[in-house]
Amino acid sequence: MSAYTALSQAGYRAYTRDRTTLFFTFAFPLIFLVVFGLIFHGQTVEESGKPYINYIAPGVLSWGVANAAVFGVGFVLMQWRRDDILRLIRMTPTPVSTVLASRYVLALAIGAVQAALFVAVALLPSFGLELDGRWPLVLPVLVLGITAFLALGVIVGSYAKTPEAVAAVANCLMIPMAFLSGSFFPLDAMPGWMQALSRILPLRYFNDGVSGALTGGGSLADIGVACAVLAGFALVLGAVALKTFRWSDKS
Amino acid sequence: MTSTAPRPSQDPPTEPSAGPAVALTEVHKTYGTTRAVDGVSLTVERGEFFGLLGPNGAGKTTLVEIMEGQRRADSGTVAVLGMSPWPRNTALLPRLGVQTQASAFFVRLTAREHLATMAALYRCDPAAAERTLASVGLTEQGDTRVDDLSGGQRQRLAIASALVHEPELIFLDEPTAALDPQARRSLWQVLRDLKGQGRTIVYTTHHLDEAEALCDRVAIMVAGRVAALDSPGRLIAAATPTTRLLVPAGRLTPEQARAIADVDRVTEEGGSLVLETLAAGRVLAAVDAITGLQGVQTRTASLEDVYLELTGTGTGAPQP
Repeated sequence: MSAYTALSQAGYRAYTRDRTTLFFTFAFPLIFLVVFGLIFHGQTVEESGKPYINYIAPGVLSWGVANAAVFGVGFVLMQWRRDDILRLIRMTPTPVSTVLASRYVLALAIGAVQAALFVAVALLPSFGLELDGRWPLVLPVLVLGITAFLALGVIVGSYAKTPEAVAAVANCLMIPMAFLSGSFFPLDAMPGWMQALSRILPLRYFNDGVSGALTGGGSLADIGVACAVLAGFALVLGAVALKTFRWSDKS
Repeated sequence: MTSTAPRPSQDPPTEPSAGPAVALTEVHKTYGTTRAVDGVSLTVERGEFFGLLGPNGAGKTTLVEIMEGQRRADSGTVAVLGMSPWPRNTALLPRLGVQTQASAFFVRLTAREHLATMAALYRCDPAAAERTLASVGLTEQGDTRVDDLSGGQRQRLAIASALVHEPELIFLDEPTAALDPQARRSLWQVLRDLKGQGRTIVYTTHHLDEAEALCDRVAIMVAGRVAALDSPGRLIAAATPTTRLLVPAGRLTPEQARAIADVDRVTEEGGSLVLETLAAGRVLAAVDAITGLQGVQTRTASLEDVYLELTGTGTGAPQP
C-alpha cells in the first residue's frame, strides 16, 4: 500500500466514522435549498423570467461544495498539527505533496457526492430545477472550484491553531463571499459596485460555471472563462498553500 | 564530571554505516532568553543504549528533537548516522524511529489500522504492522479504536509506531511513563531485544532504576548542559563511595555505633540506625561482633543518589 493510498484510506475512515460531520456536510446545502425554495416558491426572476430555483440551486451548490472543501481540510490540518499527527507524518519519508494529495482526492469525492445528492433533490418536482443538456460541463467546474477552495482551506488550516479559529476565519471568508458572489441572491438584483466587487471573488466564478452548466444560462464561453479564472485561483492559492504549509507550530 | 569528547568525523560519506550513531558538538538552542540547550557535546555509539536524564525543563526534549531533526540547532554540529537531520532529511528519516510524549494517532482508526498506515508511510509491507503490534503485546487490542485504548495501551501503540519500520536508531521519550509495573517489565524486554538486534536506542526517562538497569551510558542534563556522562556503574562509583548500613533499631545505640572505627556518620531513619562508612567490610565485622548481622542491610549508592546530588542544587558541574 502506498503512503498516498494509506493516508486517503485513513482520511476516508476518519470521515465516514464521524457520522455527525458526515451528515451535516451533505445536509447543510440541502437545508439552504429547502429554505430558499420555500421562500421563493413559484417566483421567477424579473430580468430573465426563469424560475428562481435556477439561480438559487447552482449558487447554493457551489457555495456548499466550496464551504465543505475549505472547512474540511482546514479542520483536519489544524487538528493534525495540534495533535502531532503531522509531526508523526513528518518523521516518515512521506512528502507534503502526498499528504495534500490524499486530502485532495477526499475533497473531490465529497464534492462529487454533495453535488449529486443536491442536484437529485433540486430536481424533485417541489423544487423544479430543470437541467440543461450541457450539465456534464459541471464536472470540470466542480474539480477546479474544489481545487481552488481546498487550497484556501490549506492556508486557513496552516494559520489557525484552534478549531474556533478555523471556524471563525473560514466563516468570515465564506459567508460574505457567498452573498457578494450571488450564491443566495441573483447578482443582477445587486448594486453595480457589488457586482464589480464580485469579480475578484473565486466563488463568483464557481457560481457562474455551475449555473452555466446546470441551467444553461450564458454562453459556453462563460463556462470557459469561469474555468480559466478558477484554475488561476487554484494555481495562486495552491502556491501560497504549499509555501505556508507547516508541519508543526514549533521551530 | 566526565563528558565524552566529540570525535573527529572519520567516516567517509560513502560509508554511512561506520561512525557513531549520533555526534553532537557544542550544540546550542535558545528560546527567547532561555538557553534550552547550552553547549552540549556528546557521542552515541552504534548499538548503544543511551539514557538522557534530567529534571523537567533541563533541555532533554529539545536536545532529542534536535537529534531527530524536528528542531534546528542555533549553533554547533549535529550528525545523525553520519548525516545532518536538518532540514527534513528524507534519506535519513526511514532509519530513525521516533516516539513522542504526546501519543499522536490517526483519528477514529483502530490500533491495527493506525499501525498499518504508519507502515505504509514508511513504505514497508503490511505484515510489519501485525508483527509490531504483537511485539508490544497489543494483538488483542488490534481492533480497538485508538481513542478507546487505555493509557498504557496508547503508550505501547506510540512505541510500536516508532518501531514499525525497524529503524537503526530509535528515540523514545519517557516510554514507560504511563505503564504499570508488569507492562513496564515487558517493555524492558522489548527494548533489550531491540538492543540485542544491534539497534541504537536513545531515550529519556525519569525512572532512574530503569536507566540503571537498561542503559550502557547515561547523560544527566541540568539547565541545558550535560552535568555527567558515563556508564551508570562508573557514575555511581565516582560520585558516592559511601556505603550505608541499616541496623534495626534497638540493636545498637547511636553511641556504640559512633564508637566503631571508620563510621563517618550515624543517623536514625524509619526504625533503623544508619551507619555511613567508606569501609563497609570492617564496619560490618564490628557490628557483627556487637549484635550479629541478623536483619542488617547494606545499601550502596544508586543512580538516583548521583542524579539527586547533581540536580538537587539546580547547578551541575560545568562542562570542560
